[in-house]
Amino acid sequence: MPSLAPLPSGPGPSGQVPTTSRGAAFRGLFSAAIAVLLAFAIAGILILVSGKNPFVAYWALLRGAFGSTDSVTFALNKSTPYILAGVGVAICFRARVINIGSEGQIAVGGVAASWIALNVPDLPSAVLVPLATIGGALAGAAWASIAALMRLKRGVHEVLGTLLSNFVGVLLVSEVLHGSMGEPGAGFPQSPLFPQGAWLQPLFEGSDLHAGILLAVLAVVACHLLLWHTPLGFRIRLLGSSDRAAAYAGVSVARTVLSVMLLAGALSGIAGAVEVLGVHFRLIQGFSQGFGFNAVAVALLAALNPVAVLPAGLFFGFLEAGALAMQREVGVQSSLVYVIQGLTMVFVLCALAINSKQQRV
Amino acid sequence: MDYNVLAELLAATVRVAAPLIFVALGAVLSESAGTFAVGVEGMMLMGAFSGAVLTFVTKSWAFGLLGSAMSGAALALIVAIATARFRTDHMVTGLSVNILALGLTSYLLRGLFGGKTPVINLPTLDAIQIPWLCNLPLIGRALFEQSLLTYAAFFLVIPMHLFLKKTQTGLMLRAVGENPAAAFSAGTDPIRVRAVAIIVCGAFAGLGGAVLSLQELGTFTDGMTNGRGFIALAAVIIGRWQPLFVMLGCLLFGAASALAFNLQGWSLPISSYVIQMTPYLLALAVLCGIGRRARMPAAIGRSFTRN
Repeated sequence: MPSLAPLPSGPGPSGQVPTTSRGAAFRGLFSAAIAVLLAFAIAGILILVSGKNPFVAYWALLRGAFGSTDSVTFALNKSTPYILAGVGVAICFRARVINIGSEGQIAVGGVAASWIALNVPDLPSAVLVPLATIGGALAGAAWASIAALMRLKRGVHEVLGTLLSNFVGVLLVSEVLHGSMGEPGAGFPQSPLFPQGAWLQPLFEGSDLHAGILLAVLAVVACHLLLWHTPLGFRIRLLGSSDRAAAYAGVSVARTVLSVMLLAGALSGIAGAVEVLGVHFRLIQGFSQGFGFNAVAVALLAALNPVAVLPAGLFFGFLEAGALAMQREVGVQSSLVYVIQGLTMVFVLCALAINSKQQRV
Repeated sequence: MDYNVLAELLAATVRVAAPLIFVALGAVLSESAGTFAVGVEGMMLMGAFSGAVLTFVTKSWAFGLLGSAMSGAALALIVAIATARFRTDHMVTGLSVNILALGLTSYLLRGLFGGKTPVINLPTLDAIQIPWLCNLPLIGRALFEQSLLTYAAFFLVIPMHLFLKKTQTGLMLRAVGENPAAAFSAGTDPIRVRAVAIIVCGAFAGLGGAVLSLQELGTFTDGMTNGRGFIALAAVIIGRWQPLFVMLGCLLFGAASALAFNLQGWSLPISSYVIQMTPYLLALAVLCGIGRRARMPAAIGRSFTRN
């Protein structure tokens, strides 16, 4: 097992409430900010290379993210799946289970939710929406359990197990859309529009902001409580800090690994369900594109702290929403966002490593 | 299955395996020295991009290939600095550079050509026929009528094997992957060895990408590697970090892809998406089959500290 070496130092083995010092939290925030700034600076050079003014571009990005109620709504909806999947990944990484299968789990979650929405359309909305969401959660958890079992039973490293199953999950979406669930003659691989009763209702009258963001906040709070105030959370943290300590304390590695994978899979499945029920109102090919990486990035940017996943996820959501505006208005390709995200991740990882070194001294 | 189809399948197997072999050999170097090579997907993409764009601009294959090796190595340099110097997690660092490469190639493809995607349509490398041998029944076309880079991929396997098994440097590299502390006390600097191994791995992966963009497709599209880097990593595990067996692993995936591609033309009652899943499902199945027998380099994924 590789160790995710530079983790923030958690509480001692007594399992008490977090005792992370204020200084460490501040340092974490500070390095995250530096990492983001550095990434933006380097991406700025790329904007210059393509003959545009980076300041103009970034101003457009900022306005695109925060400029109007609509843009904020759009960004919040974009953040929702990142937060949901990201907080699950954070819990997994805490237990040193490198789950990067969110993308596949989101895909099958979306398929399951869509199947329910299309096949029992006559149920009242108050039943149908929760039912479809739960269906998504179960499908995501089941998908994640495959990789977990492959690791536990056959010793297949979960990185390869989850990575490869991502491709299968995404192809599964294409498969159902070209088969039983596709809309004939649509010209694009998509399902028919869901019945209104299956739509995730907006939070406010006349707004596009759907209820998914509430689920995301709920998931963050629940994972925080789970990690710091339950026996399972204690086992997760113990397994994350040392295999030997966990074995000595009688923690079952298999049960803990399976638990965190099921939890992360369910959360990703919910993210997939929320995406189809609240944003597209149908299943579309490639709807989970890039979500898996973002979930990992968000978890790490949050230093694997469930509560910090919320701002980290919002940062990614607003960044991507702004980038789309930047492309529209200034003509700077939105794929620049991937550059910013990738660089941010590398810098955050290095900063975490430096910090943990300083703490040790 | 008739004879011609079989011969064609074998030829396609070898062709599809070639880029995987480049990438997998690079990954063997990096992982034998103790660094997980998850970033090869991105390095391959960088190579595919630079190879296609440089050949398109300079009209020279040599520049294209040089550029793809260098761009793969450049991305690997980031991994090397982060993992060897700052001791970041190998897996997550690899993932990060993968997304970085995806963004960078997609952005530059348009940014360098004034905002529009250029129409890159390069003539792909012709197959070179080895006289007489290419007329051998069944295997003639598979083994003796391939393009230059395909031959190169297979010829590289033997020097790589000899390097790792028979040379002082290869031994040192493996020692760093097995027990960096011992290697350190024997006078080797594990951090430097690992960094160099990662960078050379990047050059190999970049060349693998060039095979894809220059030899197979003659163009570059966003994210065109599409998981081939990860498949190569599976081949490395299947081949247990031994170049010769890794080559066989690559051929296995080559066969799966060739078969999948061929099946799509047969109007079978299976959808093409299920067929496209084959290489990934095969990789998972084989990994499960190998199970715990795969013995990794002992210190893989573990950072080295001097004390």
